[in-house]
Amino acid sequence: MLVLKKTTIDKLPELAACLMEKGTLVAPVKEAGGFNFRAITDAAQVDLIFHNTILSPKTVFFPQTEDFVRYSVYQPILEAKPVEPEIRPTFLFGVRPCDVKSFEIMDIHFTRTGVPDPYWRKRRDATIIFGFAFDTSEEADPAEFYHTLGIGAADPDGSDVFMLRRDDVLFLKAVSPRGENLLGGLAGLTDAAPDERKYFDDYIAQGHDYKTRYTCVDAEAIAKEFEAIFHNTDFWTKVSNACLSCGICTFVCPTCYCFDICDETQFGQGVRRRVWDACMFTDFTLEASGHNPRTQVYQRLRQKICHKYSFHIRKYGPISCVGCGRCTRYCPVNIDIFSIVEQAVQAKWYKRM
Amino acid sequence: MSENNPYIPMPVEISKIIDEVDTHDIKTFRFTFVNKDDEQKFVYLPGQFAELSIYGKGESPIGIASAPTDAGYVEFTVQRAGAILPGLVTSALHDMDEGGRIGLRGPLGHSWPIEFLEKKNIVVVGGGFAFTTLRSLVKYMLHKDNRSRFGDITVIYGARTPGLLCYKDELAAWEKRSDIKTIITVDKGNETWTGREGFVPAVCKDVAPSPENAVAVICGPPVMIKFTLPVFFELGFSKENILTSLEMRMKCGIGKCGRCNVGYKYVCSDGPVFSLAELEDLPRDF
Repeated sequence: MLVLKKTTIDKLPELAACLMEKGTLVAPVKEAGGFNFRAITDAAQVDLIFHNTILSPKTVFFPQTEDFVRYSVYQPILEAKPVEPEIRPTFLFGVRPCDVKSFEIMDIHFTRTGVPDPYWRKRRDATIIFGFAFDTSEEADPAEFYHTLGIGAADPDGSDVFMLRRDDVLFLKAVSPRGENLLGGLAGLTDAAPDERKYFDDYIAQGHDYKTRYTCVDAEAIAKEFEAIFHNTDFWTKVSNACLSCGICTFVCPTCYCFDICDETQFGQGVRRRVWDACMFTDFTLEASGHNPRTQVYQRLRQKICHKYSFHIRKYGPISCVGCGRCTRYCPVNIDIFSIVEQAVQAKWYKRM
Repeated sequence: MSENNPYIPMPVEISKIIDEVDTHDIKTFRFTFVNKDDEQKFVYLPGQFAELSIYGKGESPIGIASAPTDAGYVEFTVQRAGAILPGLVTSALHDMDEGGRIGLRGPLGHSWPIEFLEKKNIVVVGGGFAFTTLRSLVKYMLHKDNRSRFGDITVIYGARTPGLLCYKDELAAWEKRSDIKTIITVDKGNETWTGREGFVPAVCKDVAPSPENAVAVICGPPVMIKFTLPVFFELGFSKENILTSLEMRMKCGIGKCGRCNVGYKYVCSDGPVFSLAELEDLPRDF
């Protein structure tokens, strides 16, 4: 049984400073529009008073832009230089359980199948994840539905260290050997008392009963359901009626991985880099011949939803969604992905709690 | 990070450019590898493709037109693309001369299923410049080391006009051989054309290859495929024995960038070669 450690919230800056000595600390930081994961420059920035971030923490492993090669159009190709990304030991601090789950899903795509993506792998290997339980005394956020996908509000799976806040106390427990190694060497942490250990264990167990929006979802069954209605244009037209094809749902999504590879040249000097892309954009599938299989909004929304709830299951196994609710929360026209799933499965086999 | 990084192209040099058609917008580029190591690593089979990469322009996925039996070089037949906007990579490539250097990433995707094709009669049906990876397959099968592994080979190849036929010298050489049946057709001939006239589907019907122990490998413009498939059904070919190659817009070519999916398959890493049985299992979203 691993020891449960604790510290107090007012000592968070000390913990943060300790981690910053060992590497890069990435934690939620309050910005104009809300919280986002950023590299911490001042230990006092870390306060853990947030519900969840706007952008998902995939930004740490799959940044919005990743430079591949620097080149000059005046120089021969042999002069082009691959960009060595600066990857330091990183502590990703305060990740909600549903977001931690997203890393595992993305691992399947990026490194566990086919040709491994070297950037994702290196960043992932260099990072220790501090998961952080949702506050289950709060009412569930109306956009979230991780409970549907079998993810608890306090699931430590996938974290290296799992954290839980109780009033002014922060509990930390090592989940992986890497986490155990790290916690053992951190100054300022004390051992929790037996009653606190019981509180911690109970909280994690009860996290599975914390009710977000819920529909009984069986991955295989839902994959088939979407296959069945793929060619039902009426359905897809209806649910995508308001969609602006802005792509925000894909950018905030922790499991959306589509990217473009662009050459950006200025005055002859350039960088080939990958940047996030979105299947919601009309030129995403535009071919040089002029042919485009997805010119219509409904075709693109259908691609996005069927990818998450059907294609991904058939290709890789799990649903490519963790129910974090970001796509719904930030959609400018209130398209609710979960209600589309519900409508798709109709009243056939799902049941409301 | 440059070691074994699948996103970093290897340098290749244009050693030969062949102007294939009388409209001058389809050329075959022969590349040699700048680094000998890369040549050793570039092991491919007919049907695979690669990304042609020009810094400042981008990358373009193109089927490999040479055969693995062509030692020391690799060829791509490239059309200057651009119906809406000019194709950046293909235009830049067409404007290059012999001796020019570009990047190459590959080989990518799955090849024609060579083991599955062995000991079978092969019917190769191509239209226009989609013949490239079929040319690779035919060259491969005709090679003296490989010819005995395959049964009868029939090639039915058509283009709109005689001037639009690619690989004219090779076609002439195949026509003279006795171990391959070569049927060339054009939609409309000209005053010097003495060969067959007629659309590919009609010619297939006319030639009527036997489905006995046979596989049809079909590549061409969508309209040709649309009318050719029913002909092969009627001849008695099963859906497992009709193969084709798909195209979708691609970026990474290794199944990561999420762009070229048709249903749950990525055309780049799960394809581009599919049997008709496999295609019917996918949604019509291409």
